[in-house]
Amino acid sequence: MSEFFDRSRAKIDKIIETGPLTFMEVCGTHTVSIFRSGLRTLLPAGLRLLSGPGCPVCVTDQSEIEAVLDLADKDCIIATYGDMTRVPGESGSLLDRRARGARVEVVTSAIQSLSIAQKNPNSEVMFLGVGFETTSPATAVTIKEAYRRDIRNFSVLSLHKTVPPVLRALCARPGLNIDGFLLPGNVIVISGEEQYAFLAKLGKAAVAAGFEPEEIMAALTELSRQAACKDYKLCSYRLRDVPRGGNETARRVMDEVFETCGAVWRGLGLIEGSGLRIREEYLRFDAALKFDIEYKENKDTGCQCGEVLSGLLTPPECKLFGSACTPQSPVGPCMVSGEGTCGAWYRFNR
Amino acid sequence: MKSELVTIGHGSGGRLTQELTKRALSHFDVPKFQMEDCAFIDEDGLMAVSMDGFTVYPPEFPGGDIGKLSVCGSANDLAVRGVKPLFLTMSLILEEGLDMALFDRYMASAAETARGGAITLIAGDTKVVPKGAVDGIFIATCAIGKRASPNILGSAALQEGDALVLTTAPGRHGAALAAARFGLDAKDLESDCALLWPALEPLLKFEGLRSMRDCTRGGLGTALCEWAETSGFGVEIEENAVPSNKDVAGLCDILGFDPLYLASEGCAIIAIDWSWAKECATSLKENPISRDACVIGRVTRDHPRMVGMKTKIGGLRFIDMPVGELLPRIC
Repeated sequence: MSEFFDRSRAKIDKIIETGPLTFMEVCGTHTVSIFRSGLRTLLPAGLRLLSGPGCPVCVTDQSEIEAVLDLADKDCIIATYGDMTRVPGESGSLLDRRARGARVEVVTSAIQSLSIAQKNPNSEVMFLGVGFETTSPATAVTIKEAYRRDIRNFSVLSLHKTVPPVLRALCARPGLNIDGFLLPGNVIVISGEEQYAFLAKLGKAAVAAGFEPEEIMAALTELSRQAACKDYKLCSYRLRDVPRGGNETARRVMDEVFETCGAVWRGLGLIEGSGLRIREEYLRFDAALKFDIEYKENKDTGCQCGEVLSGLLTPPECKLFGSACTPQSPVGPCMVSGEGTCGAWYRFNR
Repeated sequence: MKSELVTIGHGSGGRLTQELTKRALSHFDVPKFQMEDCAFIDEDGLMAVSMDGFTVYPPEFPGGDIGKLSVCGSANDLAVRGVKPLFLTMSLILEEGLDMALFDRYMASAAETARGGAITLIAGDTKVVPKGAVDGIFIATCAIGKRASPNILGSAALQEGDALVLTTAPGRHGAALAAARFGLDAKDLESDCALLWPALEPLLKFEGLRSMRDCTRGGLGTALCEWAETSGFGVEIEENAVPSNKDVAGLCDILGFDPLYLASEGCAIIAIDWSWAKECATSLKENPISRDACVIGRVTRDHPRMVGMKTKIGGLRFIDMPVGELLPRIC
């Protein structure tokens, strides 16, 4: 197997003779795979990889995390994905709240939160929906199912986001010197390639790939080629059987339940059209309305997740990394999330 | 300021569990506390004792149940230090309303396991608590045994260049429980819960045997990190050499877990002088529970106190002690 990597490395080495290249892996699963497989240690020095805003937990704004923690204090059962429960707020995480008696349920799929609601008819159950195009269809299906079954003690706080608008925003950000993007194959499978066509027009290389190290290496080789030859064209590696338009069923259900809105990204601020809010027809399942959630202003914790997520800093360049911020005493979500870039640097690369 | 609380993470093995243990010990005068799987109770190190609590959920899982586990867990803690398990004490904490038929099933299973290992129950206790105070049944066992190895085994005996031999693919117990907890249909996935003594006893004749650990809570990764930290040496393993179970690997892919951190209940890592490594693996292969035994790495002077892994694709990464509970990933 290492022969393939040796060959690919030799190819990239040759390509970057003309100058170093910097790519951003957008998705947290790519980040972790690159570290866990040791791929990072095999890449030439002239190829720089930055982690992007593709870990659902990491991009959630601190004000939203505080609002959820407040809700957990008010006897609402919070159902959410595992990683979300570790994210630190001003006074602890959802897991800390659970130790103090709050009801926090870890689910692996949104639909499981409906069973929790049905088993606890006298309690309010809120599903905290985070993630991108890969998880929002499941949340949409869950909301439709709640509607069909008329489950009244159930609601969703939609913090779902979409990938293309944040990439557009990043490309427009001054100081960010990125030659191209490694795109998450699982997002393309849902959304299709079309939505990413703008990257080529902006002069960015773009390759979508799965999460195996071989797929990532092949994608990096192609990214290097595109960037060096200025031959920008979005392509998908090993996703040939995926219809170019993506998964129409998933997109239809997303469109039916959600509409786009502005969303605040941790450290990046408001990005127009990058969020998904619940449409009017399903508004009675909107936790933001049901609980009249108000978002407070963020306090400065010194966490530089924003700079890290937008590729301006690598985690070790953050002044808190490894000292004030470790997996045991995290300051920002990037250190605790299983897919967070700071956590990956800390765990695999010290 | 809010008070500090115990969290589930403190019970998940790894760094937080280590801190909790230290905190408990800080209240005691513990000159003879041995940070090993079991402790020798006399000056000559002839008799040893181990103690373990079992709160597993679900109490019945593919490959075993809480009864079998409660015997294997404590007995294995002796076996890995070259101590033959002889006696067992058992404390039962039962929830009001537990079905007696289930209770009988767990006890029959514990008894059968003890019988299979020639381990005699010599004392015990029962308590019943109000509904909700425990989840069905909790068991604590203490195993007592006699040292059969010529030398005292433990991490203090590790030496540079020692080979690391793993008895079987790691993580099967943790994976079987995770599948049950998260409602995943993984019918081929079974816990490896088993008594280790029959597989480990034949190794005691090898002069170069240094230390053995069972890879329970926190998994192989945590066991290796503890060896590195307590011995001061570095540890390095080869990912390609670590036996892999396809069902464990599949479950880990879905939930985002690393098999290195999933618990095993019938898997041991063995440090032995390199010149004996081959005989060690060959001997282990004769027992069905360790038929996949092989050398996975070595003890080194490089990167002291750290565990490194050469990955399948030829890269390098560190293996860090996990922090907190294992949680499934988002997508």
